[in-house]
Parts: sequence; structure tokens; C-alpha cells
Amino acid sequence: MDTKSLNAQDYIDLVKAYVETQDEKTLYDAEQIAKSFIKNNILPEEIVNLHIQALLEIYPDLKDDIQASMKFLLEAMIMYGLAHQEYQQLREKQLEIKSEILVAARMQQMLLQSDIPKTEALDIGVISVPANQMNGDYHHFVKGKDGSIGIAIADIIGKGIPAALSMSMIKYAMDSFPENLMSTDTILASLNRVVERNVDPSMFITMFYAQYKPNTGKLYYSSAGHEPGFYYNSHSNNFEELEAKGLVLGVNPDTTYMQYELKLEKDDSIILLTDGVTECRREEQFIEREEVLEVIKHYIHLPAQEAVNQVYRHFERLQNFQLRDDFTLVILKKIV
Amino acid sequence: MNLQIHIEEGNDKSHVHLSGEIDVYTAPKLKDALIPLTSKQGNTIEVNLEQVKYMDSTGLGVFVNALKSSKENGSKLKLINLQDRVLRLFQITGLQEIMDINATIRGVNE
Amino acid sequence: MNSQCFVTSIHKEWDIVAARQMGRELAKKIGFGTVDQARITTAISELARNIYLYASKGQIKFEVIESLEQKGIKVVAEDSGPGIEDLSQVMEDGFSTSGGLGAGLPGVRRLMDEFDIISEIGKGTIINTIKWVR
Repeated sequence: MDTKSLNAQDYIDLVKAYVETQDEKTLYDAEQIAKSFIKNNILPEEIVNLHIQALLEIYPDLKDDIQASMKFLLEAMIMYGLAHQEYQQLREKQLEIKSEILVAARMQQMLLQSDIPKTEALDIGVISVPANQMNGDYHHFVKGKDGSIGIAIADIIGKGIPAALSMSMIKYAMDSFPENLMSTDTILASLNRVVERNVDPSMFITMFYAQYKPNTGKLYYSSAGHEPGFYYNSHSNNFEELEAKGLVLGVNPDTTYMQYELKLEKDDSIILLTDGVTECRREEQFIEREEVLEVIKHYIHLPAQEAVNQVYRHFERLQNFQLRDDFTLVILKKIV
Repeated sequence: MNLQIHIEEGNDKSHVHLSGEIDVYTAPKLKDALIPLTSKQGNTIEVNLEQVKYMDSTGLGVFVNALKSSKENGSKLKLINLQDRVLRLFQITGLQEIMDINATIRGVNE
Repeated sequence: MNSQCFVTSIHKEWDIVAARQMGRELAKKIGFGTVDQARITTAISELARNIYLYASKGQIKFEVIESLEQKGIKVVAEDSGPGIEDLSQVMEDGFSTSGGLGAGLPGVRRLMDEFDIISEIGKGTIINTIKWVR
């Protein structure tokens, strides 16, 4: 209250000073005092009122019609005052929501966190970065008792909170499956039924599920409409698309999937990704899949985790550090 | 980031011409236009995507929704003239196999 | 406690102006400053406009409240209109002012010191507000 009345007198003094000197310094002071008014939530109508008081002090015999016109201005400012208060309130609310989402995002991260399993057979690297606070991409690792490694990578269409919520559903459905008794195609078929029953008609999920079995040295995989991954043949130094057909999860309850297999040799790699990687845009231009491959090729000789980090950094820079879509990239490298 | 939707409605056939981009921002508008058409029994809805140069997965979601709605309500949904980039999305997701898609493929640079 | 009461009925747009006038004069008499007079008048205006637009018929009641400790004005808006179904939505910020519709009920609550609303579907709405002389 004290600073308020102090400011009030300051304002009146400043008006007086300015009427006399009309110099820039006083106008600069006016700017400063306006800032402190805003900080103290002084509303525009109160400032007009102050101004009227100032006028009356400077011109004791201020004409009635001028006074009336100032009162008119005051009246008109009331609505602006209300709009200002409302704006303040909405801003506070926005901050509140933002921090709530942040808490939810942290929870999501904790719930869905999937550590890279320790295995002698594979060098695994993964990076998953949300475009906004909540990630709509999902990846999951499972290690079976026989040493097999299961990897799921999924993209929930739609962004933000609804996507994040359906992801928890996927995770808990997968956790309930009997461990490594299932082949990749039956895993997708079971998930499909869960998703189909539980999501909004305009939602669906794409997923690529892969299983590496060290005893056979083979990768088994199935795709539910997911962006194809790549197979890197170290011997020929070539990349091939991991072709796999299958309908996205959540569209048709009776969908069945195919299981494919691929023999991996030492130093061969498997690259799994979400369309946030291939849908990177540079200004208005799209990046072609071949270009993505070029970048991956450049880093494929690095240890898996370093490679995914470098690829991410490349595309992050390309998009001016503003991801348009969630970005997830997994690299598996056979090391023995 | 804009989408124009032009609808010509006949007796039991609706032609929908789309032009622009179908993404997270324009998808709701497309959904509002498309779903009511698919809920009319016996209606055939032909969606011309010739002028759609970009679509993301949210856009696919709208077509999945429309497909489900047309099955429930006994209408037919047909997509025509898809550009390569858009067609690729339907191919990857396996939706091409369960949807009526007539892609007189046109280049992106057209 | 000692109180005086004035009533004005609202069914034409012109009645809004009359209610404003009555409220402003009373506020001045009670001893409110220029700014508060303008705020009270704006609140009355919003209340009266609500009656005129949504209930078509109702009244605004003014009361001078005077006790030993404080002095104030009580403004009551009463209508027998359709009533408000979702009060919390009506009291939510963000629709009216930015849309240029006016201050709305959240605005009235800000302009006055005390605010209370009772609404019954099909019967009508009563809004009680008070502003104290500072």
C-alpha cells in the first residue's frame, strides 16, 4: 500500500515536471513508473484518476468541460482494466497447467522407462525425444531367460496427452504377456485386439516388434504398419529396408501378422525408427529417406549409443532445434 | 498449413475435393466434413486427394475413422488420385489393403 | 444497521441506462470515489444487460448498507428468466471480454467486493453483490 501511494505522488510530480520542462528525461521516468504500476497491478482507470488529480493540482481552476472529458476517459478504461485482470488470471492458469503437464510428463517417463538390457550379443543404442512435453513414441526392451532380446518401437498417432495415455495401455498389455513364449506376430495380434477395443476410432498405433535370439543368431520381426527399419550388412557395406507387411494396430480386431527372419553376422546392424525421423522437415522441404540413410551411414561405425546421439543431433540442427514430431531411433549392432 | 474442403453432394454420391495439407491442425476440420457423409446409408464418398501434397498420421487417423464409420453405416469410402508421398503412408500402414484406393499416381512436383 | 432500498425494473435497453444512473448517484452519495463509482456503474450495467439479453425481464435493487464499521452499496439483480445451467462455466474467465461481449459475470465479480449467485433452471437467477467504501 505504501509503495502504491508513493508511486501515486511520484506520478503527479512527474506530470508537473513534464508540463514545465517537456524533456525526454521525464518521459523516461514515466516509462519506469508505468513499469512499477504494472508490477503492482495498478489498473488503467486508476491511472486516469491519478492524472485527473495531477491536472487539478497543476491547474486549480481546470475547466469543468476538461474535467468531464477526463472522467469520460476513466469510464472507458474500466473495461480495459477488466480485460487486463482477466489476462493476468489466464496467464497464471496457463503456468499452472504447464507445470501440471510437466509433472505428468515426468511420471510418463518413469512409468515407461525401459532400460537397455545387458547382453553380450548386441550393442544397443536408443534415443527418444518428444517434440512437446509428452512423448507419443514408445520403445520397450525385454530380455528373456534364454538370452533373447525383444524390442518394441511404436508410434501412437496424434500428439500429446491422449497419445501418452494410450501408451501406458500398451505397456501394461505387453507386461502381461507370458515371457518369450510368444512369437513377434502373435504379440502384435494380441496387442491389436487390446488397442482395437480401447481406443477412439480415429486413433491407431504403429509398431515394429523384433526379437533377437543369440542361439540362432537370427532376428525375428513383425510390423504393424510401422515405418520400415533398415538392415545394415557390414560385409557389403549396404543398407536394405526391413520390409514387413502388416496393418496398424487398432483398426480391425481380426488382423493377423507375419513373422519375418533375418540372419545377422558380426558387425551387422539393425536400425529401427519412428516417422519423426523420416518426417523431419527443413524449412518447407521434406527430407527423403535416402537422406536419412546417408546420415545414419555416416555414423554407423560408432558404438550404437554414440551413433544414435549423433544422428539425432544432426536432425535437430537441421530443423533449427525445433522438433516437429517425436523422434525415436534404435540401433542394434551384433558384436559377437 | 491450410486445407480447403469442397463438397459436391449428389443423390447417393458425394465428391470431396481436398487441397492443401492434412495435419494435426487441419485434421479436425476434415473429420467434421467427412464423418457426417459416411453416416448416410448407401452413400458413396469419393475423396479426391490430387491437391493434397502433405499428410501426417493424424490425417490417416481421420480416414481410419471414416472407414470405420462407413462400415458401421453401410456407406462406401473411396480415395482417388493420391500423390506418391501420401500414397506411401497408406502403403506402409497396411491401410491400402483394406481401403478402396485408386491411386492414379502423380508426382510431387506436379 | 440501517438501510434504504431502491428498485428499478429492466425490460428495455433504455432501462439499463436508468439503472446505471440510479446506481451512480447512490454510490456518489454514499461517498465512493470517482474510480469506484465508475466500477459500480459498470457492474450494474453488466447485470442489467444480462437481464435484458437473456431473461428479458427482471429488476435491479440497490441498498445502502451502513454499520458502525463500514459503509457500502448492495446491488441485487433478480430475474425470472431461464436460469443458468452451468454456473462454473459462466463464471470462467476467457470468453466474454476477449470476444468483445463485455465483462460478463467474472467481470462483475472483479468490479465488486462481494459476489454471490443463485440460479434455478426455469425459475430465474438472483445475483447479490456488495462494494464497500474504502
